[in-house]
Amino acid sequence: MAPAKSSKTPVASETSVALTTMWKSYIQHTSDRLKLIDAFLVFIMFSGIVQFAYCVLVTNFPFNAFLAGFASCVGQFVLTASLRAQVNPENRSEFNDVSPERAFADFTLGSIVLHFFVYNFLG
Amino acid sequence: MRFPLSAFLSFLALANNVFAKSSTGDSVLVVIDSSLQKEDYSKFFGGLEERGYQLTFRGPKDTHPPVEQYGIPGFSHVILFTPETKFVVASRCERALSIVIPAYTFDITPQSLVGLLSEGTNLLVTLSTKQTPLSSLSAEFSLIPPPPGTPLVSHHPARSEPATVVPIPVPESPLLTPGTPPVWFSGVPHAFGNSPYLVPILRATSESFAADSFDDSGADTLVDASEKVGEGLWAGSQLGLVTGFQTLKNSRVVFAGGVEMFGDEYANKTLPDGAPSGNEKFVRDVTAWAFRETLALRIDNTTHHRVGEEGSPEKYTTNDQIIYTAHISAYDPETSSWKPYSGITDMQLEFTMLDPHIRIALPPVTGEPGKYQVQFRAPDRHGVFKFVVDWRRKGYSFLQTSTTVPVVPPRYDQYPRFLSAAWPYYAGAISTSIGFFLFSALWLAGDVEGKKKKGLKTE
Repeated sequence: MAPAKSSKTPVASETSVALTTMWKSYIQHTSDRLKLIDAFLVFIMFSGIVQFAYCVLVTNFPFNAFLAGFASCVGQFVLTASLRAQVNPENRSEFNDVSPERAFADFTLGSIVLHFFVYNFLG
Repeated sequence: MRFPLSAFLSFLALANNVFAKSSTGDSVLVVIDSSLQKEDYSKFFGGLEERGYQLTFRGPKDTHPPVEQYGIPGFSHVILFTPETKFVVASRCERALSIVIPAYTFDITPQSLVGLLSEGTNLLVTLSTKQTPLSSLSAEFSLIPPPPGTPLVSHHPARSEPATVVPIPVPESPLLTPGTPPVWFSGVPHAFGNSPYLVPILRATSESFAADSFDDSGADTLVDASEKVGEGLWAGSQLGLVTGFQTLKNSRVVFAGGVEMFGDEYANKTLPDGAPSGNEKFVRDVTAWAFRETLALRIDNTTHHRVGEEGSPEKYTTNDQIIYTAHISAYDPETSSWKPYSGITDMQLEFTMLDPHIRIALPPVTGEPGKYQVQFRAPDRHGVFKFVVDWRRKGYSFLQTSTTVPVVPPRYDQYPRFLSAAWPYYAGAISTSIGFFLFSALWLAGDVEGKKKKGLKTE
């Protein structure tokens, strides 16, 4: 990127600077637990994208399998995102009566129920 | 079809043989007008009796024996040799004036004749140039009678007979003996309506026409008529002389344009070229068809089963391989029995649910007489289906059968649950679960570490 820098692309360079700053800030200021959650979210997102692309480009047959696989990604994403919101120390004021342990227990129970339905619907 | 000749031969061989009888019964009621002499038709009636029919004669005004009693036809076949008989319209007036006109009793009406047909009785009806209830009845069977008083006229070929006595060549037809010589005809022609159940048997020659004047003085009228469009001129081979009609119940009715063609006079009369006429043979073939001796078919039974199984299942699964079999018999008048018949080559089987989902040829099986079989795959569609055979050809009995079977989708264990095409979805679901477990493990491990760190910090 360095040789491409020129006066023609001030906006691009500004954007990349902003992104770099944001990334550094994220690395520095985010706790390890939230990073773990974020990594999991990214994995689920890519899994969902791959399945949707396969459905659109190759086949949606059997459709119930697609629904189960895709719904497991979406549902897991939602549950994990909820967990992230509840355990984030910055949101402490909003989830005052929900301890992180309680949030994780909710997340686990929700995920187990979700996977129970997914595997029933998969075959 | 070959029956009359062979029947004749067997008659010569075995005088006391059992002869042709109808497939529906042997009792015949002959309603004969008082103006006609039974003896003039001795060859026709004798031929019928020789073939095993029991003839009962009565006049149109007689009340006994009744045509129908308590809704049950009294006879298997009815011959109406009453070409000029009218109904009693103003009987009191006529009685007062003591006028004697030919008339029917109450039990012979167009309605009762149609009722007889729907009960399976066969009819042979003779028409004449006069306007009678029977010519009105013929209009109900899609025959179009010409104006009253217009017989068939032809000046060809040159002959000594009057122009209204016409020799008609016999066409090729499945119900007529091939090679029948021309027949003498005298009577009224008719045009055809568009009913598909009409079976034209004898048509007028192309030089003949219907006219009310037979001498040359009326020629100008004819020329005028021919220049008009539409019904101006009744002429040509489009006119029918003897026409059959088969009802949906397979009963048959034949309308003949004149009664004279059944008589001894025309049977004995030689053709203009000196050869004997074909009247006797022709009327025998016509009555054989009308009384359901010839071209009488029936479906004996139908079966259906899966390939490799015996017996009909209660229901089929979509995409099953199905074998459908029909056994068809034709009536053999020589032995008065039904014999397996494999002569149908254009029959079709339909597998229908509202629409025919499958329409497939149902061919005869070689080597097994009377058996027709086809194998096909049930459609990939579940519902209540019907095997339908509906075969209708001119002159032949209509063959109709319908069997209802349900076709169901496969049961839960009759198709594969996990398909290779869906592996990305399975992998996605499984990887999510594994990810969840890993995440939970890491989270709990991190929790312990965090507590340790916290503890260290606080200490």
